[in-house]
Amino acid sequence: MRVQVTKRQEPLGWGSCFIFLGALAFSLAVSAALLGLQGKPPATGIRLLFAGAFGSPWALEDCLLKAVPIFLCALGVAVAFRLQIWNLGAEGQFALGAIGASWVALSFPTLPGRYLLPLMFLAAALAGGLWGLIPAVLKLGLRVNEIIVTLMLNYIGILILEYKVYGAWKDPGSFGFPMTPEFPAAAIVGSIGATRLNWGLLVCLAAGAAIALFLDHTRLGYELKASGENIRAARYARLPYERLVLLVMALSGALAGWAGCLEASGSLHRLQPTIMVGYGYTAIVVAWLARLHPLKIAIAALLLAGLRVGVENLQLDLQVPAAFGQIMEGLILLTVLAGNFFKDYRLRWREAG
Amino acid sequence: MRRWLLILLILALGTAGTLSAAEKELKVGFVYVSPIGDAGWSYAHDLGRQHIAALPGVQTSYVEAVPEGADAERVILNMARKNFDIIFATSFGYMDPMLKVAQQFPDTVFMHCSGFKRHQNMGNYFGRMYQARYLSGMVAGAMTRKKILGYVAAFPIPEVIRGINAFTLGAQAVNPEVQVRVVWTKTWYDPATEKEAAKSLLDVGADVIAQHQDSPGPQEAAQEAGVYSIGYNSDMSQFAPKAHLVAPVWNWGPFYEEIVNAVRDGSWTSQSHWYGMDKGMVALSPMTELVPQAVQDMVRAKKDAITAGTAKVFTGPISDQSGTVRIPAGESATDEALLGMDWFVQGVVGTTE
Amino acid sequence: MTAEIVIALLAAAVQSGTPILYATLGEIFSERSGVLNLGVEGIMLIGALAGFITAKATGAPLYGFLAGGVCGALLAAVHGLVCLVFQGNQVVSGLALTILGTGLSSFWGTPFIGQRTVGFAKLPLPLLSEIPLLGDIFFRHDPLIYLSYLLAPLMWAFLRYTRWGLGLRAVGEHPEAAAAAGLRVLAYRWAGVLGGGVLMGFGGAYLSLAYTHLWTNGLSAGRGWIAVALVIFTFWRPGRAILGAYLFGGVMAFQLRLQAMGTTLPSSLLLMLPYGLTIAVLVFSSWRGRGSEAPAALGINIEPRE
Repeated sequence: MRVQVTKRQEPLGWGSCFIFLGALAFSLAVSAALLGLQGKPPATGIRLLFAGAFGSPWALEDCLLKAVPIFLCALGVAVAFRLQIWNLGAEGQFALGAIGASWVALSFPTLPGRYLLPLMFLAAALAGGLWGLIPAVLKLGLRVNEIIVTLMLNYIGILILEYKVYGAWKDPGSFGFPMTPEFPAAAIVGSIGATRLNWGLLVCLAAGAAIALFLDHTRLGYELKASGENIRAARYARLPYERLVLLVMALSGALAGWAGCLEASGSLHRLQPTIMVGYGYTAIVVAWLARLHPLKIAIAALLLAGLRVGVENLQLDLQVPAAFGQIMEGLILLTVLAGNFFKDYRLRWREAG
Repeated sequence: MRRWLLILLILALGTAGTLSAAEKELKVGFVYVSPIGDAGWSYAHDLGRQHIAALPGVQTSYVEAVPEGADAERVILNMARKNFDIIFATSFGYMDPMLKVAQQFPDTVFMHCSGFKRHQNMGNYFGRMYQARYLSGMVAGAMTRKKILGYVAAFPIPEVIRGINAFTLGAQAVNPEVQVRVVWTKTWYDPATEKEAAKSLLDVGADVIAQHQDSPGPQEAAQEAGVYSIGYNSDMSQFAPKAHLVAPVWNWGPFYEEIVNAVRDGSWTSQSHWYGMDKGMVALSPMTELVPQAVQDMVRAKKDAITAGTAKVFTGPISDQSGTVRIPAGESATDEALLGMDWFVQGVVGTTE
Repeated sequence: MTAEIVIALLAAAVQSGTPILYATLGEIFSERSGVLNLGVEGIMLIGALAGFITAKATGAPLYGFLAGGVCGALLAAVHGLVCLVFQGNQVVSGLALTILGTGLSSFWGTPFIGQRTVGFAKLPLPLLSEIPLLGDIFFRHDPLIYLSYLLAPLMWAFLRYTRWGLGLRAVGEHPEAAAAAGLRVLAYRWAGVLGGGVLMGFGGAYLSLAYTHLWTNGLSAGRGWIAVALVIFTFWRPGRAILGAYLFGGVMAFQLRLQAMGTTLPSSLLLMLPYGLTIAVLVFSSWRGRGSEAPAALGINIEPRE
């Protein structure tokens, strides 16, 4: 008796959805087992996780709030992934975007909101886009591997943020703590009605729709998808690979930059080092899970945002260490990766010989 | 069957509720900025939490590693919604989020550590760690031969700078020519970096190593090099028995108990508590036998004076590194000046950035 | 900068670079067999924690060191499973492994923060440590550093002169040709993954057993990523790994010493040095690289046969 592995001839369709859910269930099971090993009740833990994430209107609000930056970063990363470019630098691009937006907010405090906010978004896109272009240029010009460059630029980006916030931009009224003065009211992205959500949600919708349109209905979008499939063939077909790389990385950086701008403006109302909470890294997980469809990215972003929010509930009620959320993220990614195997191959039991 | 069990459960809870209504259970929540196991800042607060958890009728809970900003607001909001009676937030950056939530939950008591904003149901508190630092500086000044003291410090925020200054003043009181060299690690707990930082100070000739860090890394470096060390947060002599002289330590337990009692008997009002050695909030760990008796007596005498209020640490004339007099002769620094301290006294070699 | 300080700096560079050296050698081993493992950071952390706990429990640092290697291999095995068996994308799997390893080590390691373990102490080598200059820099360290001196040449010899080493390289360059020649490609790749995991685990264990005798969440602080970058710098050759690792150790030690000497440069800028240097090193390597030095089949999974 042995297992025979054959490649599927037709794609799996609905089955792939089941495989995805199966992978999720498996990682939940393993996580629950880990809880049990630590002496915490596993079933209660999983229930608290869901309750904390989705079990009440304010929990959903929290999830949406967190999903906004994750979604924007993931959108950018996914676009890069499609071109087989490993943009792991969303975290640093996020930081640069926040820096750019803060510079505008602090330099032009008297501008009215209708000029100031768009200017902030522009600055954030430029700063983040620039940070994304650096690895792109190095890749095209010198064939330097973008995985490492983007990662190193993350560290450097965060250090630049700290440098400004500990130095020239430090709020004289903050008693020496590293934070900028609070942004003028005109620089703050407002809340939607009485909720704690802000208009960043609209930015997400707009960006998602724009990217979807771009990919499905423009020529450049088509070229991007085609180039991603097979770079050599694309080059042979005279597709503008170099231009696409630059475009994609600049776009990626700009989107992550907008996420940083929204966090600084809508969430914190100032710039401080604690703006960095790892959205950029979670975005990589989201982008991989959801491939290139903005709708799937939105769902995955919501899911992982929910994970972060739910884990806090777990901490509060069961004193589970904060790292539990990371474990689940890693497990989900690994199981989905492994599960993808069953999308492309089918197993059959065969008699030996 | 399940319905019956549920009814039974409700009845049981109800009876338990009425029985314990006589003695009101206080729910106290803690928000920590780093994992409690860091043997440092959050660890010391958690010891305080455990102190009150042992009191009858007090139930505690905590969330650790909560980033400042929107996350903190959500965690505090969560606790308030779950009807916590008192919430302690232990990091400066929690100030604004806590204030926002305090305005929405007038019946909950909010206590913020190391900040300055208050509300009718929100007070703040901190400890005059600089008093203990001064005393530890005296010990260091007495024990150094080369007149160079090394200080491994985490972040250039006021409390760290204040501590360095107090340490330097204490050392200079005993040994006017000492020099204190500062290395910033930009991390609260990274034993490898902290140890390396300590080694770099040893390489420039320091023969006593002090730290404002949460790991015993610098202690190890000092012991390996055969020099002396001053700990922090807790008695670190177990990590460096041949090097450790003394450590300034936090003692939050009694203060937390004071607040719990005040809330319970209704006498709580919003105040700014900045307690010192007189209330036992900061203390000096026992001096090890490496410290000669004469030095111990001298330090103890000063400690009594500070505790009694007859001696103040930051009494002029005190100049900064450039020679400008910051605190004139005969005057003592105001609490405001201390809380916002962002300059080094003369005798410190290093930058505040 | 007196001579004394320079020598002390170089000695610190050696010590600081040793965990990076172990990890780099491990990644070279894995990549030579064709498997890209970006999970180095996570594996180092698990190795560090395993080493810490084992040494603390048994009182023997050696067992801790070995446990670090074993647990490193175990985590690497997950990567092997996902990539070699389930054909998962190697880049993503490695990233997921970093996230998982970091999370697991923090999750299990939180109770151990603030505790110490027995560890390796400095052991100056007789005779060799008396050599002026070189003795102070290279021969006044702990035994694990001396072990690392041997590892690089051993790996070089293994890859170049032994049958298995050549097989490993063949599998990383032309797996189809290797298979046609009768080599068991999967077996060699597993060896690469697991062997690499052991060395990366050793690198992590070094941090908690020799560099310090402590544990904290995130002890490796990005060294794993530097190791991945260094592999490119070394053109996948073990010998150059020593140079690269000590260079990085030196930069990390240097910026701290600059501060100790009283520089007025802001520390945020100084802290950028290791990361900026990594990029510079990569640019330099690509600029000087003669064609592509990487193993030809690096990162490409081998499809299962029908």
